[in-house]
Amino acid sequence: MNGLRRVIGSTPVRQAFGILALVSLVMLLTLLVAYVGLRKSMQDTMAANIEQHIAGFEVAGNASTLLTLVAAEARVVDPANRVLVYLAPDGRTSGNATARVSPDGVEILPISDDMLLSDDGYFSKAIQRLGGVLVVAESRQPLEQLRDTFFAIIMFSLGPTILITMGIGYAIATRTRARVEGIEATLAKLTEGDLTARIAEPRKREDDLKRIAVRVNKMAAAQEASVEALRQVSADIAHDLKGPLQRVSVMLHDLRDKMDDDDPRVSIVETAEDEAERAVAVFRSLLHIAQIEAGGPKAHFAQVDLGALLTKIGDLYLPTVEETGHSLTLSVDDTQIIQGDEALLGQMLANLLDNVLRHTEAGTDVSVILSDGPRLIVQDNGPGIPATERDQVVKRLYRLERSRTTPGNGLGLALVSAVAELHDAELHLEDATPGLRVVIDFGKGKKQVTRY
Amino acid sequence: MKLLVVEDDMTTAQYVVKGLSEEGHTVDHIDDGRDALTQAMSASYDVMVVDRMLPGLDGLSLVRALRAAKITTPIIFLTAVGGVEDRIEGLQAGADDYLTKPFAYGELSARIIALSRRPTAQAETVLTAGDLEMDLIGRTVKRAGQVIDLLPREFALLEFLLRRKGRVQTRTMLLENVWDLSFDPQTNVVETHVSRLRSKIDKPFDRELIKTVRGVGYRIEAS
Repeated sequence: MNGLRRVIGSTPVRQAFGILALVSLVMLLTLLVAYVGLRKSMQDTMAANIEQHIAGFEVAGNASTLLTLVAAEARVVDPANRVLVYLAPDGRTSGNATARVSPDGVEILPISDDMLLSDDGYFSKAIQRLGGVLVVAESRQPLEQLRDTFFAIIMFSLGPTILITMGIGYAIATRTRARVEGIEATLAKLTEGDLTARIAEPRKREDDLKRIAVRVNKMAAAQEASVEALRQVSADIAHDLKGPLQRVSVMLHDLRDKMDDDDPRVSIVETAEDEAERAVAVFRSLLHIAQIEAGGPKAHFAQVDLGALLTKIGDLYLPTVEETGHSLTLSVDDTQIIQGDEALLGQMLANLLDNVLRHTEAGTDVSVILSDGPRLIVQDNGPGIPATERDQVVKRLYRLERSRTTPGNGLGLALVSAVAELHDAELHLEDATPGLRVVIDFGKGKKQVTRY
Repeated sequence: MKLLVVEDDMTTAQYVVKGLSEEGHTVDHIDDGRDALTQAMSASYDVMVVDRMLPGLDGLSLVRALRAAKITTPIIFLTAVGGVEDRIEGLQAGADDYLTKPFAYGELSARIIALSRRPTAQAETVLTAGDLEMDLIGRTVKRAGQVIDLLPREFALLEFLLRRKGRVQTRTMLLENVWDLSFDPQTNVVETHVSRLRSKIDKPFDRELIKTVRGVGYRIEAS
């Protein structure tokens, strides 16, 4: 059922059906116009015939003659085709049927079992003639035959055309759909970070889908090459830059070991060690964010219970939150399970809490709410972030003017943003009047997953 | 202990080898992946330290090859890539632990010791250190006969340190094992937990049980 719906939803099928509907409509209209025209001309002919017969009887000078004339002509006419009746003023009648004339019209009745009337009714005219009534009627049978003929034309030409076209359209669409689905599946893999995915297309075919496939494959190859280059560069930087940093740390460590604990220079060495560590942390975070944005961790996604993770992080942070004079309220609704990377989600939550602890005064309340969706909200009643800068703070190394003096490297929210994006979640920074509300909506991504 | 260090960066290698030798370990150093594979197959080690990027044969392949050859020696993976996936890939390849460069020597040393020695048998029901006594069945802690009330997390933290008495436990090791979280908090969350625990079990008494090892972590003295 779902497969049928998808076939019908595909572009070629819709187009085929559209053309089919249009062709059918034109055909029907043409046939209808022809039918109406033919019917009209047939009715005109019948009316003319009737007039001609009535005129033929004008030669009769009195009722008796007219009776004879009508009887004579009626003898050779089948009442199933045409009825001729004269009702004389004295009550005598002649003709191949009889008639009853009333203000509502003329009713034609048979005069014997041999003289059968038409089943299709009559197109009749009655006029006063020589004190009596002359009735001439033509059977409607030709009109009925005309209608049946047109109905047959529709049934035996249009019907099969529609069925055959639909069948062929469906078959083509099913084939095209397989190709379109191949392209869709490859694109899905590419967005998930599998840059080796390619669309398999028959070598011989040359059409629009083939061209799209070739383009997508070229794009994927280019992206794979550039990601590979980026990875190589990152790896090289990592190796070339972290190596010296490692050595600096080693030397500082050695230097520290060679000093007596009461040497006044110890504090300088220790500060230098801390600074080296800070440089490494910034460096590591940048590489970290770049790798998350490349989408690689998606390959290792597993089930993560956000509620349980949040409870653990809350437990870990509670003493620090209290020491810094903040308060923390944790509200977790049920279990909320998503596909994700637990370490990164943990880092994301930790960064959000670190952020609040760093950038708000003692006495600020922090609440963390996890509700259905799943939807995660981290909210404080601190100074907040001005509306104009909310888009900026998720960028790398961006820091608010007033935060220049507080610790942190300006990468916390950039990492939050990268992790949210990796999980197809939407990140919003809002005004909590007062304070900052960070909303992470995982619902969007979940819908995307269940669609297939 | 007999250790094998496979590392091509000479400064890091010297630093690691020197530190480990000073601690009394026998250390072999090899700077090529292929040679390391031959060496690891022919001699037996207590713990191996393997760099991710190596000439000859890369670290991941080396670990996979060793595991395929049924060599179960604990392995610590070192990497400069600092990658998100590297940790998972390294562990999937069969490494037991993972460390990102640049690392503090103390972190490496603490982790090597953690890998080589299993914690005190689970069967034990009472853990002690000096005049402190932890009853795992009754879930009670006493010091010098005095009952100390601990929160469940403080209890778990103290239990973890007691089971590894005499060995330094780093902040990241505590985070990974007591909270089952692996990330890098920017604030001193673990330190705060330790200082709260200290204020209950150490502060009212004259001798400090939980020692801070500067730049590395914490340790409960063995004696």
